[in-house]
Amino acid sequence: MSNNVKFLVVDDFSTMRRIVKNLLQELGYNDITEADDGNTALPLLQAGSFDVLITDWNMPGMPGIDLLKAVRADAKLAKLPVLMLTAEAKREQIVEAVQAGASGYVIKPFTAVTLKEKLDKMLAARAAA
Amino acid sequence: MSPSNPDQERYGAQVAALQAALDSGDGGAFRHAFEGLCEQMDAGLLPELRRLTATAQSALARFSADARLDKLAGHEVPDARKRLTHVVKLTDEAAHKTMDLVDRCGPLVDEAARGSALLLESWDSFRDRHAAVAHLWPERAATFLERTRADSEALRGHLSELVMAQGFQDITGQIIRSVILLVDELEQVLGKLVRIAEGDEVTSIVRSLPVPASWERGLGPQVAGLESPDAVSGQDDIDALLSAMAAGK
Repeated sequence: MSNNVKFLVVDDFSTMRRIVKNLLQELGYNDITEADDGNTALPLLQAGSFDVLITDWNMPGMPGIDLLKAVRADAKLAKLPVLMLTAEAKREQIVEAVQAGASGYVIKPFTAVTLKEKLDKMLAARAAA
Repeated sequence: MSPSNPDQERYGAQVAALQAALDSGDGGAFRHAFEGLCEQMDAGLLPELRRLTATAQSALARFSADARLDKLAGHEVPDARKRLTHVVKLTDEAAHKTMDLVDRCGPLVDEAARGSALLLESWDSFRDRHAAVAHLWPERAATFLERTRADSEALRGHLSELVMAQGFQDITGQIIRSVILLVDELEQVLGKLVRIAEGDEVTSIVRSLPVPASWERGLGPQVAGLESPDAVSGQDDIDALLSAMAAGK
């Protein structure tokens, strides 16, 4: 089942995109697209059939929280699992992200085990829905 | 001559003495009166000279302060931004280089693991078929192959950790980028100070100062010693917060 899940990884740092991509590949996911902020990610999401969105928060163009809100506001994307993968650590922000519809929140720096655990949980919830 | 004439009051007596000495042909008295008159004139000039010197000094001091501000706003602050941007670029290149090398190590490790597994397999089947000569195969060769297979597993794990560790570039990059934004603001403020020094309107300048960072746009990573009181301590803290929110729905 894992091989045909389609990921979009959004982060303005190419090193972080590469790290996440590397991890996903180790977990057996090979269909991975990258974008460097919300403005480039949103058209990709609207055009493609992505299964999971993993996004950073703090990006120069459209920040991740605005991308999350745009995704939830789009009828076609409203149910897309969205994992926030960010260094933003204020409680206020985490509450905001959950209220805006984030499916998971992983804080940087993170471990491979944490990312896998949250992904598995999100994909299981998606399969059950 | 009127008695209120200041020149008359100041120099009258000496000019009269000078005239008298000239008329009488007394050279000694004339020189004496002339020197007295010169001293009197010098004394009158000194305060004016002092005032002029002080004005020149303060103009010079102000000029060097303005020049310092100009240099800060025009060169040093933009240079600081370039230096920081360069640091982000260097760490980016170093992180990618590290990951390139890890990518190249992967197949080598896999090959060592695959090769030792194949050899062990061949050895097992040979030993089963030729038990009589099995003792000729050195024990340490088998141990080495077992060890290589196990080490390859460990090495693969270390390489994955090495890739994860490159996440430092994102964290430090975000922190440096927030300092670059600060330097940008500093540059604008300095530019405005220079304009104030040149006589521009203060209120219009203050109104157009940059807006501080907001959490909606993202604040970047927490920094040791500068943590926000509202910050979570780590993933466990976030998981607890998320569970509490889910339970509260």
